[in-house]
Amino acid sequence: MDMILSIYAIVGFLAILLVLTSKSHRMMNIFSALHALTYIGLAAYALMYSSLPTYFLENRYFFMDHLGLYEVIIGATLFFFASMCAKGYLEGSIKMGELSPENVKLFYAAFNFLLIVVTYAFFSNNLALFWIFAELSTVFSAVLVVTLNAKKNIGAALKYVFMASTSMIFSFIGLIFLYTLTSHALGTGTLNWDVLMMHAKGLSPTILLASFTFVFIGFAAKSGVVPFHGWLPTAHSKAPAPVSAVLSGVITSIGIYGIIRMFAVLHATSVASRASIVLIAFGLLSMFVAALSMLQQVNLKKFIGFSTIENVGLMLVGIGIGTPIAIFWVLFHTLVHSLTKAMLFFSAGIIHHQYESVRAEKIINMLKLQPLASAGLILGATAIIGMPPFAVFLSKFFILSEIARASPVLLFVVLILLLLVIGAFAMFLTKLVSQVDEEGNGHGAHLEKYVASQGIVLSIAALIAAITILGLYFPQALTDLLNVTVKELGF
Amino acid sequence: MIDPVLMDNLIKVFINIILATAAIIIVKRDIISLISTYTVQSFLLVVLAMLLYLESGSELLIYLAVLTLLSKVLIIPHFMKSTQKKLNIKRDIEFHYLNPTSALFTSIFIVLVVYVFLSRVLAELELSNVFFLGATVGISLTFMGMIIVFSRKQTITNIIGYLTMENGVLLFSLFLTELPMIIEVLILVDLIMLTLVATLLAFGINSPIEEFHEKINPFVRTSNWLAKRNGNGNGHAPERNGEED
Repeated sequence: MDMILSIYAIVGFLAILLVLTSKSHRMMNIFSALHALTYIGLAAYALMYSSLPTYFLENRYFFMDHLGLYEVIIGATLFFFASMCAKGYLEGSIKMGELSPENVKLFYAAFNFLLIVVTYAFFSNNLALFWIFAELSTVFSAVLVVTLNAKKNIGAALKYVFMASTSMIFSFIGLIFLYTLTSHALGTGTLNWDVLMMHAKGLSPTILLASFTFVFIGFAAKSGVVPFHGWLPTAHSKAPAPVSAVLSGVITSIGIYGIIRMFAVLHATSVASRASIVLIAFGLLSMFVAALSMLQQVNLKKFIGFSTIENVGLMLVGIGIGTPIAIFWVLFHTLVHSLTKAMLFFSAGIIHHQYESVRAEKIINMLKLQPLASAGLILGATAIIGMPPFAVFLSKFFILSEIARASPVLLFVVLILLLLVIGAFAMFLTKLVSQVDEEGNGHGAHLEKYVASQGIVLSIAALIAAITILGLYFPQALTDLLNVTVKELGF
Repeated sequence: MIDPVLMDNLIKVFINIILATAAIIIVKRDIISLISTYTVQSFLLVVLAMLLYLESGSELLIYLAVLTLLSKVLIIPHFMKSTQKKLNIKRDIEFHYLNPTSALFTSIFIVLVVYVFLSRVLAELELSNVFFLGATVGISLTFMGMIIVFSRKQTITNIIGYLTMENGVLLFSLFLTELPMIIEVLILVDLIMLTLVATLLAFGINSPIEEFHEKINPFVRTSNWLAKRNGNGNGHAPERNGEED
């Protein structure tokens, strides 16, 4: 069991080595997919056969607990689907002239590096180490955004790097506070999460709250919480579709994960309620801004990006509520939100290649030209707004019911915001679907049908199946896993 | 051995000079002098680390001083200067939200707020005076760097803002000498970020330059058109020159 962390590293670097030395796009793609699959397998193995939490190294800087493994499985699954799509997508982009063939290797190298960095972030017991991996994840995802040739991508990547890293510096200040605090209270300073959890009650609540607030700023920026969200819609809309899926499903999860860990430390102390207020306030603000932006959005991928902000807002409110049931469903929401979002972005990727644009006014005859992508968008939208039988319905429903138990007024506000989002989705989709040019004299009619690769088609189908099955049948294993996770977090 | 009181005062003086360099960075528009001010600021951090070593004797501080000297005084400024030459941008002309003067006033306000905030929050820890000053200036430096990142349009100045923020964190953490390995990694991440941003810039050209070209383009077009017209009616241009004389 001690070896498993090293196996992760070895597999990761082997994958990168193979990608760098292989000559064909196909091989690079296969190695990336295998890399992700191995990570899923290893995490599943650790979940089943080891006593968790397991600590690594003498200083216990790394550990594996249920939450970390759960997030790694979600992350690696998204990477797997993204690599399934990547080959077809990148070939389409090369044909369109937005990607130069030399950049394919750079793409896969950064892609695999990002997977390693993300995985190790989830395995970090030491918060400073987690911070470093989170920062590195910004670097590699910025590289992925910039692999496309457009100058706008450079702008988007720079915006992302600056917004994320400046906010992350504030997180670092928060960690220094925390370290000073522990060195005064315990004699030796530490940033190991398990020690912090153990001694949280003995630490000064005021400084704990101050450090929480600082740490929150950085992780909020990583997960696209308003007002640190500026980078998110731009980066999501400019990135290649598989990367958008990863950004939305994995990179934002890193932020949420950090916030959950930090909040878990505070949870047992007297300032928990004040930290809750911070979380709920930022959550509501994010939902509000996202809903209004969605109502006037004309860019499909930006629209989906804002929907991510809205979901992150809901998750923050859920974490702020802080009951075991709320945390349980927030964790479930990270899973199903990631899967649904990935599916939406893959569909948007097909649309992007069909029309060479994702602006609503360019998308004409969508149902006729791209029935699969249309189905993906419509089903994905239905799923993400929380309609049964899809899995997001469960998480949204139970988070809302926990909100209702905490405060009916809050429920009222959240419901109105969710209704705005539903309205925005309805408007946007109606617009997309209704732009039909039967006569064939508009510019949409003489477009040739873009044939999406099998990888994308299969991924979209598999993801639709997954979110439907999870909505209808809740596996006992998942219930157990989430219950243990919530208990480990101390909620 | 130096008198501890004198030492304390010396450290305080240096911390204050570092704050002054941040103020200079906020008001300067000329990119070369921004880079030199950053270099001076980093060098002051090295000196501060050495002074703290003399006071506490912790060898980690020497190690940190050497690392800072190498990365922040030598490598990064050199890198920035060559990037500046490649991009050929001399000055910041455009600002978002705040111009340098109002940014300076904002940062004075920030220093006060940070001071009040820290004196409340850290009160129960009974920290030394010097530590408290270091924390205040460090956090203020971080905010001032953030102002630069958000108020300047040129990417290269944004980088200097970001680096100033990191110097703030470094200043803060110099007083926590046991902070294990993290500062080194912070510097490493620094270098990675910098290389990344510079590569991004090399990939395309800084966007404000494009905007600038677009802005002057109408004039370029008009003058071309004028030149053509003048060229058609030969002899017209010299006449105009004559008028101007």
